[in-house]
Amino acid sequence: MWLADEDVTLAGLGTGVAPARTRRRRGAGAGAALAWVRDRLATTPGRLVLVSILVVVGAVVFGAIATGAEQSRERAAKAARSQTEPLLVHAKNLYTSLSDANATVATGLLSGGSEPATSRQRYERDLVRASGALSALTREARPGATATAALGTIADRLPTYSGLVETARANNRLGFPIGAAYLRDAASLMTSTILPAADHLYRTEAERLNDDYQTGSATSTLVTFAAASAIALLLLVLAQWYVARISRRILNVPMVVATVMVAAVSVWGIVGLVSEQNALGSAQRVGSDPVEALSAATVLLSRAQGDLSLALVSRGTDTTDPLDFDMVSRVLGRPGGVIAEISVLARRTRTGAAAGRVDADFAAYQAKARQITDLEDTGQTKSAIAGVQQASAISEQLSQNLGGQITAAQGRFTRSAADATSALAGLGLAIPLVTVLAAALVLVGLRQRINEYR
Amino acid sequence: MRRPLRHLAGLALLSLTLAGCGASSDHALNLTLAALATPPAKAPASPTAQDVKCTNVKASLRPPATLPAPNRMPPGSFMAKIQKQGYLVAGVNSGAYKFGALNPATGNIEGFEIDLVNEVAKAIFGTAEGHVRLVALTVPQRFTAVEQGKVDIVVDLITITCYRRTLVDFSTVYYDAEQRLLVPVHSGVDNIAALAHKRVCATAGSAPIDVMDAMAPADRPVPVGLPQAIDCLVAFQQGQIAGISTDSSILLGFTAQDPNTKIVGPSIRDVPYGMAISKAHPDFVRFVNGVLAQLKRDGTWQRLYANRLGAFTSGPTPAPPQPQYDG
Repeated sequence: MWLADEDVTLAGLGTGVAPARTRRRRGAGAGAALAWVRDRLATTPGRLVLVSILVVVGAVVFGAIATGAEQSRERAAKAARSQTEPLLVHAKNLYTSLSDANATVATGLLSGGSEPATSRQRYERDLVRASGALSALTREARPGATATAALGTIADRLPTYSGLVETARANNRLGFPIGAAYLRDAASLMTSTILPAADHLYRTEAERLNDDYQTGSATSTLVTFAAASAIALLLLVLAQWYVARISRRILNVPMVVATVMVAAVSVWGIVGLVSEQNALGSAQRVGSDPVEALSAATVLLSRAQGDLSLALVSRGTDTTDPLDFDMVSRVLGRPGGVIAEISVLARRTRTGAAAGRVDADFAAYQAKARQITDLEDTGQTKSAIAGVQQASAISEQLSQNLGGQITAAQGRFTRSAADATSALAGLGLAIPLVTVLAAALVLVGLRQRINEYR
Repeated sequence: MRRPLRHLAGLALLSLTLAGCGASSDHALNLTLAALATPPAKAPASPTAQDVKCTNVKASLRPPATLPAPNRMPPGSFMAKIQKQGYLVAGVNSGAYKFGALNPATGNIEGFEIDLVNEVAKAIFGTAEGHVRLVALTVPQRFTAVEQGKVDIVVDLITITCYRRTLVDFSTVYYDAEQRLLVPVHSGVDNIAALAHKRVCATAGSAPIDVMDAMAPADRPVPVGLPQAIDCLVAFQQGQIAGISTDSSILLGFTAQDPNTKIVGPSIRDVPYGMAISKAHPDFVRFVNGVLAQLKRDGTWQRLYANRLGAFTSGPTPAPPQPQYDG
């Protein structure tokens, strides 16, 4: 009976007791570890074992953190150089060539039934360049729903656009005013649907490049790297100081070698990271910043020229294009506007002469536009049309100047971005290698001391 | 122990300083993206017409018994001022084929209305050659340009209405248009009622839209308003609409540009066109009315009509609209 009772009690307790037991066992584990550490702390060789564990763990943590920091910089610099910026160039080409096509065709139709061959060739060149950029972007763009949608919009609508342009041309050759209506239709498809999609693609890549710059020159990465190096070196120095204190030998050769290696890779890393971020910074300041300002000027100038021509092509029916022209001129020419920014950036790149020509040509362009408005307002249509052709010539000269400067700025970008990636060359391999070697050397060095006690 | 710490602190400080030099700036990016985001300009709102009553919308000022000889405009008159200026500035349409349209081949604005402007200039200068400046005006500009004196006269398919007569003075009617219907040449449609519940286009916010809206529900088409009448022809060629209902003058220009169209049905509404002149120059209104009466009397009007529009209208040249005077 009492046996059975005991059984019942045990069975009843059974479920409740088991977790308590595990807990006790775990507590016992931690207790055992603490006890183990306490045991090691009690003896000199034990303390040396602890020191070696601490230093090895420190070295591994240093290696991991430093590699992580270096990799994030290197990835960003490589992405900026070989992925994002090339895509930005494609997006810029798409944007500028579509804008230019739209302006070119409007100016061409203005010059009468027989559009000049040069105008037609320029339009076709623009479309070829746009299709090239479009397929490059489709091929290489990083997946993203909105980018895919934007690419789809352009691919779908561009044939419609060129169809409308050809209808406009055919009617214009016959002297029919409906040609101007088709042209307006085409221009509105371009400005309200196609160009916003191109703008979206351009904006996405420009912002991505900016993200790359921020990651690639983040101060936090450098600080993290420096802090990890400092802590690793501090641990190594402290370990050697301790070893020197308990043994009579002042120098522990393997540990000294480990320290020198870690110090060397730390200095290399810091120098590399600093020169990488400086190179990346200059890739932005003298490379992509000017590319962006010059591209924006090119796009806006095409828009202004399109407005100027369209306003005259559909004179008397067009109320919005003259307003749009004024607005775009202001954005370009106001103090602190795009043209002013080009001058500011030119000071960085010492290309003041080219920027000065942009300034002067834009002033001439605006003066010509004012003259055209006056001619229109006083009914001197033929002179106004001739004026638009002259304005178009100035605009083409401007866009060639801008194009040349863009090429130069891209060259500066490529050089600086190459400097940025080469500044980090080898570091990605050296840091883990040194970490492993240093840890091994520390173990060897401390093993010698520990063995002296056996 | 304190030395390495100080060195490390120094190293950290150095790296922070160096990092500051390389930090990226997004000023240029933000500036250029904001510039590219400049939204397209919006069309200014045109003033809305008000409901105004008048007794005879077509009546204008009586011309003088005899017109002054060319280059001998009465001193102090507005015509004398134009003569002294050396040219007549006329606001016209540049997209109304056969009435006032830019000829892409020549860069000149040509048409029936331009011919009439030339006749007015001829009455002042003896010849129109070198004495006419044509300014293409947008619809909202038409009346302000006259009121502000930017142009001397506007000949731009302006329908005379009682409300508009409060803004400017009108000449006598120089062309009597009517609202009619344009359909595909082989459609078999001969009446706007046959297009009930189908899409019929006109200029957005124009009188033809109001007329369609006011039709009996059983006959009423679905009015489609586009920014300009010519946009209706584009939509028509693209098969988006079944017909266009607007001024016969505009439709005439459409048939001239697209032989696959024809004008059908009875007149839906009378659309009298007048030349707009500032209220400050009643002497010029009388002078222009005198010129118009002369043109209609001596057959010039008929000749110009036949020359510009004859090829696109069936039957003989219609009689010019009879002038009506009220003062």
